[in-house]
Amino acid sequence: MSTPARLTRSGLLHVLSILVGAAIVVPIVFGVLGGFKDNGQLFNNPFGLPKPWVPGNYTAALSSPAFWRQATNSLTIAVATTALVVGVGAMAAFIFARYAFPGREAVFTVFAIGLMFPFAVATLPLFVLLRTMKLLDNPLGVILPQVAFGLPITIIILRSFFRSIPAEIEESAVLDGCGPLRFFLRILLPMSRPALGTVSVLAIVGSWNNYLLPLIVFNDSKWWTLPLGVQQFQSQYSSDTARILAYVTLAMVPSLVFYAVAERQLIGGLTSGIGKG
Amino acid sequence: MVRRRRRTWSTIALFLTPALLIFGLLVLTPMVVAAYSSFFSWNGFGAPTDFVGLGNFRRLLVDDIFVGDLERTLLLIVLSMVIQLPVALALAMLLNQPLRGRRLYRMVFFAPYVLSEVVTAVLFTMIFSPNQGLANHLTRLVGLGDLGATWLADTDTVMYSLFFVISWKYFGFHTILYLAGRQAIPQELHEAAALDGAGGWNAFRHITLPLLGGTIRISVFLSILGTIQLFDMVWVLTGGGPIRSSETLAVTMFQEGFKRFHVGYASAISMVIFLISLTFGLLYQRFVLRRDLEGAVTTMGDQR
Amino acid sequence: MTSTRISRRSLLGLAGAAAGATLLGACGGGDSGGKSGSTKTIKWWHIANTDPMLSKWAEMAHQFEAAHPGVKFEITPLENEAFKTKLTTNIQAGNPPDIFHTWGGGVLFQQADAGMVKDITADVAAWKDTLIPAALDPYSTGGKTYASPVDTGMVGFWYNKDLFGKAGITTLPATWADYLDAVRKLKAAGVTPIALAGKEKWPGHYYWAYLAMRVGGLDALKQAAANKDFTAPDFVSAGAHLKELVDLQPFQTGFLAAGYSTPDGQAATMGNGKAAMELMGQWAPGVETDSSAGKKGLGDKLGFFPFPAVDGGKGQITDAFGGGGGFAVGKDAPPEAVEFLKFIAQPDNARTEAKTAAVLPVVAAAADAVTDPNLKLVAATLAKSTGFQLYLDQAYAPAVGQQVNDSVAELMAGKTSPDKVAKAITDAAKQG
Repeated sequence: MSTPARLTRSGLLHVLSILVGAAIVVPIVFGVLGGFKDNGQLFNNPFGLPKPWVPGNYTAALSSPAFWRQATNSLTIAVATTALVVGVGAMAAFIFARYAFPGREAVFTVFAIGLMFPFAVATLPLFVLLRTMKLLDNPLGVILPQVAFGLPITIIILRSFFRSIPAEIEESAVLDGCGPLRFFLRILLPMSRPALGTVSVLAIVGSWNNYLLPLIVFNDSKWWTLPLGVQQFQSQYSSDTARILAYVTLAMVPSLVFYAVAERQLIGGLTSGIGKG
Repeated sequence: MVRRRRRTWSTIALFLTPALLIFGLLVLTPMVVAAYSSFFSWNGFGAPTDFVGLGNFRRLLVDDIFVGDLERTLLLIVLSMVIQLPVALALAMLLNQPLRGRRLYRMVFFAPYVLSEVVTAVLFTMIFSPNQGLANHLTRLVGLGDLGATWLADTDTVMYSLFFVISWKYFGFHTILYLAGRQAIPQELHEAAALDGAGGWNAFRHITLPLLGGTIRISVFLSILGTIQLFDMVWVLTGGGPIRSSETLAVTMFQEGFKRFHVGYASAISMVIFLISLTFGLLYQRFVLRRDLEGAVTTMGDQR
Repeated sequence: MTSTRISRRSLLGLAGAAAGATLLGACGGGDSGGKSGSTKTIKWWHIANTDPMLSKWAEMAHQFEAAHPGVKFEITPLENEAFKTKLTTNIQAGNPPDIFHTWGGGVLFQQADAGMVKDITADVAAWKDTLIPAALDPYSTGGKTYASPVDTGMVGFWYNKDLFGKAGITTLPATWADYLDAVRKLKAAGVTPIALAGKEKWPGHYYWAYLAMRVGGLDALKQAAANKDFTAPDFVSAGAHLKELVDLQPFQTGFLAAGYSTPDGQAATMGNGKAAMELMGQWAPGVETDSSAGKKGLGDKLGFFPFPAVDGGKGQITDAFGGGGGFAVGKDAPPEAVEFLKFIAQPDNARTEAKTAAVLPVVAAAADAVTDPNLKLVAATLAKSTGFQLYLDQAYAPAVGQQVNDSVAELMAGKTSPDKVAKAITDAAKQG
C-alpha cells in the first residue's frame, strides 16, 4: 500500500474510532461529571460542566470506611468467584471439547439450560437452600451460587475455544508421555489465554455488579458489596442521585482496571497464531 | 485397552464432577422447585397447596401482555441480528488494526459493559429526558429539528430507545468475543493473502469471516438467549413502561411474582421462557452448530 | 525399667494434648448464634437507612439493652425497595425478622394470614389510648392488631404560590370544577399545571383514590374491597372525573417516563419551580428541597391545600388519604420485642422520632414536636379529618394494589376508559 493511501486509511480508522469512542464515552463522562454536581444541578444543567464543582460527593465516598469495606468485600467475592468458575468450568469444558462419551451432548445441554431460566425465579428456593446449608451472612453464600450460575457461559465459550486447538498438539503431547492432567495444565490452558481472559472478565464483571444475591444472603452490613452500598444514598422517597453517581463511578474503576490488565496480559497479548510449530 | 478405558472414565469423572455438583445443587434444584410450583396457584408463603395443573399456562396463552412480550422479544432479536452484532463485529475488526492508542480504545469500548444496569439507566434517563436531554439537543444540532421526541415516554419509540441503550451497554461483550476469536486466527494467513494481492475486504470475506464462524455462531446464540431472558436493563430503565409497552417476558414474570405475589403464575412464565430457550437452543445446536460439534478429535478419549 | 518410669516426652505429650483439647473445646462451643446463656437476640429491620434517624434508632436500641440486660439487637437498616425484596424472601421462606417495618394494609394481613406475624392486640392495648384516633386502623383487621404504628401522614396538593399568582388564581379550589378551572388558567398562563411521576405509577393512583373517596365516600371503597367489586357507578364516575383532568393535558412533557425522586422527576420539577402543583404526601417538601438547585426548594412559596370535593359526591373534603409506618413482630420473636415497641411509643421517644425524621407522630402527646411549618399544615389538616383511607396499593392485597396502579396509569396515558379501569381492578380482586 502506498504511503499516502496508508496514511488516509489510518486517518480514517482514527476518525472512526474517535467517533465511536465518543458515543460510548460521552454518557460515562456525564456520569463522572454528575458526581461533581448536586441534584439541583442535575436538573438544571445535566450535561454541562458543574457550576460549581462539588467535590464533596467523591471525597465523602473515598473517606468513608464503609466504602472501602464494601470495595474489599466486592473484590474478595469477585476474585474467588472468578477463580472457581474458570477453574471448574475449564475442567468441564475440556471434557466436552475433547472426550466423546455417550450422553455427552445431553450433559452439555443440561449446563446450557442454566442460561435458559431467569435467575429471579430461583431466588426463593435458592434462599431456602442456602439457609439450610447455613451459608447466610457468609461470603460463600454468594460465591458458590455465582459460580454455579456462571458455569454455563464459561463452559460454552471455553468449549468452543478448546475445540479449535488442533489435534496434532494433543497427539504430540501424548507421544511425549503427557497424561490428561498435565496436558490440561501445562499445554491447553496456557494456549487458551484469550479465552480464559474473556471468561474471567465476564465473571468478574458479573460478580461485581450483582445486587440481588448479596441482598438476600447478607443481613450483616459488614459483608455488603458495593452495589448494596449505594443504598445509603437512597431513602424511602428520595435519592441523592449526584452522590450515587460519584459512588458508582468509583465502584466502576476496579472492573475497568481488571479489564485493562486482563486485556494486556491475556486477550491482546498474542501476536502469533496457534497453528505454528 | 481396558486399562485405557478405565483411565478415560476416571479422567472424565474427575474433571466433570465439581461442575456437575455445584451446578446441580445450586442451579438445577431451585429450578426444579420453581418448575414444580408452576402447576400451583401459590402466593409464596408456606408450601404450594392449590394445584391448578395447566391452569397457569392456559391463562398465559390468552394474556394480551404475554403475547405482546413475545412480539417485543422478536423485535429485539431482529434488531440485534441486523444492527447490534454486525456493529460489534466491525468494531472488533477496528480494534484489531494496528492503531495508535488501540489499547485505550479497547478499554473505552468495553467500559459500558462494566457499568451496572442501574447507572446506565440513570444516565440514559437523563440523556433521553424530553426537557434537557442530550438526545433532543443532538437532534436539534444535527438539523433534524425539534423532533419533539419523548423517547422513553412514548409507547411508539420506547422499544427503539431501549434497543439503543441495550446495544450501548452490551456490544462490548460481543466485541471482546470477536476480538479473542480474531486473535486466534494465525497472522500467516492474512500475510499470505496480502502477498497474493487480496487485501481488505476480500481477506475479510474469505479468510476472517469463515474462520470466525464458530465465534459468530456462539455470539448469535448467546445474544438470542440473552434477549429472550432480558430483564435487568428493561426493569431499571423503563420498568416495562410506559403502560407496559416495553415489557419483556422476564419483566412480566418479575411483576407477577414479586409485586403481585402470583408466584405460581410467575413460575409458569419462567417455564415458558425456559421452553422457548430450550427449543431454540436444541434447534440451533442441531442445524447451525452441527458443524462445530462434529469430530471430537482427541487422542486421550476414545478414538473414533 | 520401662514400665515404672513415665518418660518426660510422653508426659509433655500428654500435657500438650490436654491443652489442645481445652483450646478446641473453647473454640467449638461458644459462638453458635446468639442464644448462649440467657442472651436474647432481637433482629430488627427498618428503613431509616440514612442519618440522622439511623443513629437515633440505634441509640434507642442501646438504651433498651441497658435497661434489659441479656437483650441484644441486630439491626439491619435497608433502603425501601431493597427492604421489600429482602423481607419478602425471608417471610416466604418462613424466616421473618423479629421486628420489621410495615406499611400495614393488605400486605401486612397477607403476611399475618401466613402465620408469620404475631398477633399483638393484647399487648398494644397497654398503650393504645396514648395514640391518636384511628392510628391502629391500617394495622388491624378482624379485631386483631398486627403492628404498632409509629408515624402517619396524608396526601394533598402542594402548590407553588408564585405560579398560582402568575395564572391569576386567587382562591384555592375547593371543588373539582374549580380545580379544573385552575388547571385551565395555569395552562393559559404558560405554566405546567401538574408534575407527575408517571413511570412509578403510585403517585398517579392518588388521584383516582381521592376521586373515588370524594364521589363514593370512604364506605364505598371499603365495601368494594370486601366484595371484590369495583364496578359500582361511583367508581366509574371517579374515573370519568379523572379523565376530564387528563384530557386537559396538565402534566409535564414526558411524564410517562418520569420518576419521583430522580434528577428530572416529579419532585425536581416541582422543587425547581417548573410546575405549579403536585399531589403528594407529607414528605414532599423535603424531597423537593433535596432535588432542587442549591438545595433551596420553594421555601415559603410552597403551600398546601386538601384534595377538592366533588359536587354531589358522598365523600367529604375532610376525608384523608395517606399512610405511615409501623413495626410488626415476627412469629419467633422474644417477648422483649413487643416490650421494645412499647418503649419507642413513649412520648419522649415519639418526640425524638417526629423531630429527627420529620414525620407526624401517632402518639398524641408528641404532637408538639412537630415544628416544621409544612408538616404543621399537614398535621392540622389531618387532625380535622373525618375519616382515613390507607394508600390503595398498600390497603388492598398486593395483586389488587398493583392493578389499581397499572390501570390508573393507563387511564392517565389515555389508553383506557373509566369502566375498563373498574373492570380490571375487579378482575384482579377476584383473582386474588
